[in-house]
Amino acid sequence: MVWLWGFFVLVVFFLLGEAVRVVAGLPISGGVIGMVLVTLKLMIRGNITDSLAAASQGLISVLVLLITPGVVGVFFVADQFSGQWLAVAVALVVGTLLSVLTTLWLMSSVAKADDKEAGHDGTQ
Amino acid sequence: MTELSDRLSRLMEVWLSGPMLSIGLTLAAFIAAQWLFTKCRRPLWMPPVLIAAVILAVVVWVSGIGFSQYQQGARWLTVLLGPATVALGVPLYQQMHHIRALWRPILFTLPVAATLAAGYALGIAWLMGASPLVLASLASKSVTAPIAMGITEQLGGSVSLTLGGLLITGVLASLFVDWCAKWLNIKDDRIIGFALGLNGHAIGTARAFEISPMAGAFSSLGMGLTGVFTALFLPLAFMLIA
Repeated sequence: MVWLWGFFVLVVFFLLGEAVRVVAGLPISGGVIGMVLVTLKLMIRGNITDSLAAASQGLISVLVLLITPGVVGVFFVADQFSGQWLAVAVALVVGTLLSVLTTLWLMSSVAKADDKEAGHDGTQ
Repeated sequence: MTELSDRLSRLMEVWLSGPMLSIGLTLAAFIAAQWLFTKCRRPLWMPPVLIAAVILAVVVWVSGIGFSQYQQGARWLTVLLGPATVALGVPLYQQMHHIRALWRPILFTLPVAATLAAGYALGIAWLMGASPLVLASLASKSVTAPIAMGITEQLGGSVSLTLGGLLITGVLASLFVDWCAKWLNIKDDRIIGFALGLNGHAIGTARAFEISPMAGAFSSLGMGLTGVFTALFLPLAFMLIA
């Protein structure tokens, strides 16, 4: 039961995230706030317990299972969006192509500029 | 004979009164999808989640259970998405040394690229006359599913449409990164991995781990940072526009 304590920690951080969301009136989901809080806590602590590592690994490995019921829904809401499917399809295909191109181009230009700078410093 | 059919319909009632039938069906579809996926030599265009969803949709429809009945039971599984989202903080922390090593390109690329990943699609859909509900559902299309579901709920979109869009985006991003990296002559696995995770969330990350462990690590990083960035800024941006 090494993961039980870790699971408890995750649930507590989720509840904390919900608390922050409601009290501060943020439009961000409690799970995301909990995730940021847990990352910060680990950075301050500097290491991670076996229990938390085991619990998070277990949950992450079944993420697909947890998402599946939501995905099934897309087959049942089809008529709710009739007449908009072309817009959705074009937005997804063209939007994804453009954003992939932008990311690759941006990341490689900044990395290249950095390399050049480093090389320049090296020769001096 | 009628007694037996009475008892059978009573059995169906009993099964449907609790969540266990939905949970059992979801587990069965998930296991079957994993098996089929390996059997078909892991096709890029057909991730296990899509196979499982198609199987479940057919079973739920043909058996007459109906989606709302199924979903009520499956809620016992989906509540775990809360702590599972929190759990994503653990790999994010474990990637921290990668962030430190390449912080400049990451710092420049992430806000622009993550904003555009949502922005391009939103702009196109808006120009083509999509309704506000569709726009709210598509906004988080490049974000990993548990986080995206939270964002869509906050924006008031349709979670099912978000998940459908997410799935298609993940598959397309895997293909497009392959093509575009060749076309732009990019061979750095760190950049390819980051682009896969930023645009294609978990599906892109699965593809990145096939390329190399380094690409996989950077893809997890891109996925995690995009999720956090989008979750923090998109609802705020939507609030300002609306």
